[in-house]
Parts: sequence; C-alpha cells; structure tokens
Amino acid sequence: MGVNIIVCIKSIKSTASQGQRSFSDELNPHDRATLEVALRIREDLGGTITALSMGPETFATSLHETMAIGVDRGILISDRALAGSDTLATSHVLAAAIRRLAPYDLVLFSARTADSDTGQVGPQTAVALELTIITGVCSIEQGKNSLLVERNYDGFLERYEVYFPAALTIHQSAIRPRDTGFLRIQSVFEKGLECWNHTDLGLNREEVGEIGSSTRLFSLSQTKKMRGCTFMSGSGPGQADQLVKALLQLDMI
Amino acid sequence: MDIFLSDKNRLVQRIAHGFCEREIQPIAGKIDKEARFPWDVVKKMGELGYFGIQAPKSLGGAALDTVDYILIIEEISKSCAALGLCVAVHNSVALYPLLAFGSEEQKKKWAPQLTSGNKIGAFCLTEPNAGSDASGIESEAISKDRYYVINGSKAFVTNGGVAGIYLIFARTNPNNGNKGISVLIVERGTPGLIVGDLEELCGVRANPVSSVSLNDCEVPSQNLLGREGAGLSIGFAALDIGRIGIAAQAAGIARAALEEAIRYSKQRHQFGVPIAKHQALSMMIADMATRVDAARLMAYRAATLRDKGESFSQASAMAKLFSSEISSEVTDQALQIHGGYGYSKSYPVERYYRDARVTRIYEGTSEVHKMVIARGIMGN
Repeated sequence: MGVNIIVCIKSIKSTASQGQRSFSDELNPHDRATLEVALRIREDLGGTITALSMGPETFATSLHETMAIGVDRGILISDRALAGSDTLATSHVLAAAIRRLAPYDLVLFSARTADSDTGQVGPQTAVALELTIITGVCSIEQGKNSLLVERNYDGFLERYEVYFPAALTIHQSAIRPRDTGFLRIQSVFEKGLECWNHTDLGLNREEVGEIGSSTRLFSLSQTKKMRGCTFMSGSGPGQADQLVKALLQLDMI
Repeated sequence: MDIFLSDKNRLVQRIAHGFCEREIQPIAGKIDKEARFPWDVVKKMGELGYFGIQAPKSLGGAALDTVDYILIIEEISKSCAALGLCVAVHNSVALYPLLAFGSEEQKKKWAPQLTSGNKIGAFCLTEPNAGSDASGIESEAISKDRYYVINGSKAFVTNGGVAGIYLIFARTNPNNGNKGISVLIVERGTPGLIVGDLEELCGVRANPVSSVSLNDCEVPSQNLLGREGAGLSIGFAALDIGRIGIAAQAAGIARAALEEAIRYSKQRHQFGVPIAKHQALSMMIADMATRVDAARLMAYRAATLRDKGESFSQASAMAKLFSSEISSEVTDQALQIHGGYGYSKSYPVERYYRDARVTRIYEGTSEVHKMVIARGIMGN
C-alpha cells in the first residue's frame, strides 16, 4: 500500500562560481530537507516518491539528482510556452501535473527557495488543488493514519494533525538531509526522466507562461548594504558613554 | 572540460563536489595537522559508493566509468589530497586487480568488503631496496602444500596503517626474474603480517602510509591472485589505471591552489589596487589556469580512452607526468601569490604545496614516466 508522495523541486542558478567551475543550475538547497522528509515517510510507511519540476531542460540535472537521492520517478515539465511564468502560472501548471499523478497522498514543497524566495508556489498550488496545507513545517511525526506536524511562527509553536491527502511546505530546519552517493546513478540514467509539456497537462497557452502570469518581473538588482563606521575616541568608560548615547540616538536601546 | 561531460558525469561531479565541500573541506586542515585518518567520514563514504566506484553492482559497486572515477578523485583531492589518495589507491590498485584478475570465489569473498569500504585496500610492491626498480623486490612467497609462506618487507604502503586487505607482491620463483613475481591477498590480522609504524610525511599527512612486514606469514594458496609469475603484469596493469587517478588527484590539488590564489589576489590590496590587477600576478594566474585546464583534459582523455576500450597506457603516463609536474608549479605559484601568508599554516596553500610534491614520486616517478613515454614513442 504505502504513501504516494509528490515533491515539487526547483533548480536555482548556482551561487558558487569559483575559479573555472560553475555549476549553472543546481538543486534548490532547501529541497534536500524536503526530499529527506519524503524518504523517511516512505521508509516508515512504504509507497512511492515522485519529484516534479517545471523549468527549462537544464532543470533535468536536479531531477536526476533527486533520483540519485532515492526518488522513484522524476518528471520535468518543460516547453517554451512555460517561460516567464510567475508563481501563479507555475502553481497552475504544477497543480495540473499533480492531478495527472492522482491518486496521491502528500504533496511537499520547500518553504523557501534560495533564489526568488517568495514562498508562494506551495500555498498557491495547494489552493488550486483544494488541499489542506500547513506551511513552514519544522517537525513531522507519524500519527495514527495521519501526520503530526509542527510549525514555529511568530514565537508560537503550532501543532497540527494532518490527514491525507494534504500539502506541506517544509522548513529547512525540519530534518538533516542524508548524503547523496553514487550507488543509484547507473539506474537513474537507465530509467531516465519523464518529460511533459503544457498540452500533456491539458492546458492552453493562455493559462501558462508569461501570458498566464498575473505579475511580471520588472527588474532584479542586488541591494548593497552601505556600512558606516564611526570611531569612538578616548578609552574605557568615556567610550562606553559615547556608545550608549549613539545607540540611544539610533533607537537601538 | 565541461563540454566533454555527459549528464551522468556532471551529476557524479556535482554529487562529489557537494559531499566534499560539506564533509571533507571543513576537516582537511585539521586532519593534516594531526596526521589523522578520518574514519568517520571514510565510513560515510563507504556507504555512498566511494570505495567501489567502478565495481559492478553485483559486488556492491556503483558501476560508474573511468571518467566518473577521475571526476570523483579530483573533487575529493581538491578538498583533501590525502583522502583523494586513499580512495584512488583503494579503487585502482587494490580493488581493480581483484576484479580484473581474481577468480569468482575471490571476488565473492573480498570484493563486497572492499566496495563497501568496510575494508580499505593497500598495494604492497615497493620495498626499502626496490622502488622504481620494481623487479628488484626481494620478498619471497614459498609454496608449501596448500599454503604460501611469505617473508619480506614493504615500504611506503599507502593506506597501510588502516587497510584490511593487502595485495602483497612477492617472488614465488626466485630464478625467473620479472616472471617470478606473484600477488597474494593477505588480510589484516593474518599471523605474520605486521603493519609497521606510520611514516611521518611532509604532505598527504592524513593518509596512514606505513611499512608492512611479513614474517613467515602463511596464506592459503587460494589467496594467489591470477597465476604464479603474473605479479608484475598485474601490478603494471593496475598502475596504468592508478596513474589516471593520480593525474586527477594532482589536478584537484592544483585547482584548489589556483582558486585560493584567485580569491586572495582579488581581496589583497597593495599599491592601491587588488594585487590581481598587477600584471606580474595576472600573468601567473593565466599560466596556472592554463596548466590546470590542460592537466584536467589530459586525465579526461586517458579516462575516455580506457572507457572506449582503447589503448591508454601512453595517455595515462603522460597525464600523470604532466599533472603532477604542474601541480608542483601551480601550488608553488599560489603560495608566492599569497606572500607571507602563503607560508603560514593559517592558510591552506602551504598544505597544497606539500601535498602536490609527492604526486611526482609515487605510482611511478616523473623520471620513470618519461622513460615509459619515450619507449612508447621510439619502441624498444
């Protein structure tokens, strides 16, 4: 029997560009914890794990990596029409793909990505699927035919009992991901990925990509933190006095 | 180099890179200082397939190819040359001979212990009086009924201090010159096998290199690997592959040094600008980068030739020669770029400098490789 789990993963542009090496696309580091949650549930309850990702062909490497980590099936949703998708269009596509994978018990997302970090795709997809969703889960336990999850928000620890089918977004702190090895690599490439496009999902061009988005990214620029430096003259108690005055002026104490 | 890699190669590289950065990089300096073999990390690596990279799945291996192998060795060595050496030697000159020349019983008995990393492999050819002149070894293995009795002394055994399985090269026929040497598989704990003190080395200090003595060490005849007299041909076949691994190791060390030098030269300011802007240094970096690139490509070529089933001895000798030589040059330049800080143990560059040096010596010195390459070109 077991639990059918779908994990939505994302590739991000590699932040490490060292010397002569740059991995152009890498698995969103937060997704490792999410995948680990899926692996543990499968170890306890049996079932299958499918990794799902929407993006260009270069996202295939991350999906291969999830299969090397232990996912049973990797599906890439990719075609030109999907380019320029905002989180709403993305969640619309993911929801269509997840419906195609029914029946399922659990849909997992990471609470955050290391790039755009909107945290929206999980909730938007869950709403599209009319699934219960708990976000920012930092702890999971087996209940009786359910999961007991915790989230830590605004200084409060919330505990929920969640019945399948449900969606969760997993906070990175929830679990320490296992190391990935090489023992599955050969079979990953023998098995390969599945590739779907928007027509496979029964969607029209107008529902996806830039056309299907309700927001458009205008520009993206790195903000630079301007740091000032004030030297306090004198020594000991005199400097301490100056420091206290300065902090009071800045409303920091 | 990336242009030559398949999706599978790239995935292997990415996985190795991630593990090495997270688990090996943070401890590399410490284990070098303490000359400590990091068993905890090694156990993890065993579970992940690092000790059976090209071995078949049926024997617990990852069934990857030689290109995958060199990518893994390079990544490990970039973080820690001593561990890169351990994994390279284990895979190419300990496990490989068993897989290529062992009987089905021998493979079934020992391969799973090796591929899982539960037992580390060691290759024991060199002796106090026989280094480059491998045929000058004096260790003897006398056949007595169903046993061989081995006597002899082995030096500079990589992984010696921690190995569970030793491949011992010894003369089974004292009168037959090169054709009188055989290989015997000896397990740690066999009476008469004595693992000596660890060598205190200049570099690759976290690798437990030791001497190994055999005093009337009795092993069953079933422990003979291949035929009697096939020892040197087995050894040389293994070293042909081992060399590709060392080429990758040296390239990894050089790459680590290059990246540190680039990073440092962008941060360090002298005469009002980052020192990277001074032409003397930017010229050095250009030289270093070109050499590292060439070394990686040569290792890749040797690996690819092997994977395609083509003759690769020349290519592997050239790759090892070139890569080890440039690793000394590049690490030296990287140290120079760091100035006084490069000479201090507070920075990793001096470790790269020390680690690189030995790559010109083991698995065939540069001089031996030049002989081999020249012979390959000119004929005998």
